[in-house]
Amino acid sequence: MLNFLFNVKSVAVIGASQDPMKIGHAIMENVLGTGFSGKIYPINPANKEIMGLRCYMNVTEVKDSIDLVVIALPASRSVEALSQCVEAKVKCVIIVAGGFSELGGEGRALQDQINEMIKGTQTRVIGPNTVGVLFPYSNLNTALTPKERIYYPGRGEIAFISQSGALGLLTMDSITEYDLGISGFVNIGNRTDIDESDLLQAFSEDIHTKSIAVYLESVSDGNKFYEIVKRVNLKKPVVVLKTGRSEASSRAASFHTGALASDDRVIDGILKQAGVQRALDEVDLIDYGKALAYGKPLKGKRIAIITTAGGAGVVTTDLLTSNEYGPALDLTKFNDTETAEMKKAVLPFASVANPIDLTADGNVDTYEIILDVISKSGNVDGIIAYALPQTPKIDLGIVDVLSKYARNKPMVVGVIGNRLAKDVLRELEKKRIPAYPSISRSVKAMKVLYNYGHFLNRRGVP
Amino acid sequence: MSNNFSKGSGNSSIITEYEAKCMLKSKGITVPEGILVKDLPAKLSLKFPLVLKISSSTILHKSDAGGVRLGIRDMEELRQEFSDMKLKFPYSDFLIESMVGKGAEFIVGVVTDPVFGHMIMLGSGGIYTELYGDVTFRKIPIDAIDAEDMISDIKSGAFCEGFRGMQIDCKILADLLIRISDIVLGLGKIDTMDLNPVIVDREKATVVDAKIRLTVT
Repeated sequence: MLNFLFNVKSVAVIGASQDPMKIGHAIMENVLGTGFSGKIYPINPANKEIMGLRCYMNVTEVKDSIDLVVIALPASRSVEALSQCVEAKVKCVIIVAGGFSELGGEGRALQDQINEMIKGTQTRVIGPNTVGVLFPYSNLNTALTPKERIYYPGRGEIAFISQSGALGLLTMDSITEYDLGISGFVNIGNRTDIDESDLLQAFSEDIHTKSIAVYLESVSDGNKFYEIVKRVNLKKPVVVLKTGRSEASSRAASFHTGALASDDRVIDGILKQAGVQRALDEVDLIDYGKALAYGKPLKGKRIAIITTAGGAGVVTTDLLTSNEYGPALDLTKFNDTETAEMKKAVLPFASVANPIDLTADGNVDTYEIILDVISKSGNVDGIIAYALPQTPKIDLGIVDVLSKYARNKPMVVGVIGNRLAKDVLRELEKKRIPAYPSISRSVKAMKVLYNYGHFLNRRGVP
Repeated sequence: MSNNFSKGSGNSSIITEYEAKCMLKSKGITVPEGILVKDLPAKLSLKFPLVLKISSSTILHKSDAGGVRLGIRDMEELRQEFSDMKLKFPYSDFLIESMVGKGAEFIVGVVTDPVFGHMIMLGSGGIYTELYGDVTFRKIPIDAIDAEDMISDIKSGAFCEGFRGMQIDCKILADLLIRISDIVLGLGKIDTMDLNPVIVDREKATVVDAKIRLTVT
């Protein structure tokens, strides 16, 4: 139903402004400066022209149909502007202003007016209290933060639904460090109409989306959310970062074990039941989304580690096999044939026991021989490979080798460092290989691939 | 802890332990052999040792009120305890039950969450529930996979593989969870349910104490 959002053809900005201090200005700049190829209608009765475009008095003056309207006006005037949008049969309206239900009292009443106004009409509302949306595949950016202050991600495979606007923007800015892209971003804000469940459903049908990352402080409709997230997650993996405690904690206190039965445990159970991976911070949220978008779910828990730095292999082993700090996965025991094959390829002092340590003398060719053996092994369910370009014999060629084998076996790549390491990470990103700039993040990525694979397996999904 | 249970949500009413157990029994759930009496009958077909409890929908903290006697070994001891209890609670009914043998203790509960509706809870019983908060929740209805996952979520799930000489049949516990889920789904009017402890061994899962609060419409 909301799929038109992925392919918006026309946008109007009510409150478009020449004044760089107004958010109506930043929004216009983002809409104009991202290469959006559809029609753009600035709306402001005080101007004849804005940024070289004809400016309209109001939306009803625009004769063509409008897919999306951004209202960048204060709360009280936003409601009036919405009524014109409803009249003009606009498909979707983003109401940016805060000052609604989050304030309670009068704000709540104002938000109720929104619901009343759109009831039974074809107009849907995002927000209020939202920083906007970003759809890189249609070059549509209605965010309110100017480009001088933030990098917006380009095209990718992770959909990002966020209840928080600021954290959503910060997270997007962060992930551009390694050129990670997204398929879409929606800040649902007060979600008076369109909520997280509607968007989960929409993104599940979007061809560019491979996984969906959701930041939530509360769930708007528990039954709807559970039904949809459970169904969607079987098709496209969902990651949820859920924070905050609702009234549920006090309500759950009515139960005998009340003090223990906090809201968070209920949420935890809901997510487990739906097989949804739970993130604890914004880094996990996107890391997990990336692992599930690019990686293959594991069919078992036997992991092979390949590294050119012994220490990285040891720390990985500790984290990976721990049931206290890690996912309690197992290390593969290679059979005699596999061991002999690997032994032939490596230097005498290198180790082919798991973790396989090629040492600082390891080169890309040897790396490939080893990957060939372990990716064909029936004893290996997943591979953690370290691509460490600080030694002379490891160059960017490692990326092609890794991408060749990441097609056949679940693989996570760890890259540690800065100078050359960041280049390797960006190259791996281009190849859509889940790669991470630390050991623990690599291990956690493997954990979610295992957990998701385990869930699918339990539910009989091939 | 029972005081928390007594809050319930909105309009609700508690049914007595005996009523709760009869209801559970009618749905195929194992409860201790027992009878509800006003006075001690002359003949008793229950197996010793016995438990004597007051039956009340108002006194939830029965032990604290001195309304529970455990490990009654013979008829003579029962007569003595009964007359003591009768003096204390002259207008009460009394529940006499056979004591349940050894097994792993669990707690099974149902709460009505304001966002997600009916949730079923499983916890490691006894002090572990309180001390470690070792509980897990799922939304009702649950299926067999959910029930198995719940058991492996909690520490006492280890008893399924055997631990320190204690071995239980987890299929029986999973079956209990599914039955509770089905009861809640079928009845609809359950507000909260607190089965604590549930004693599980290789043959059965016995609900030793049950508190059920119904939603009043």
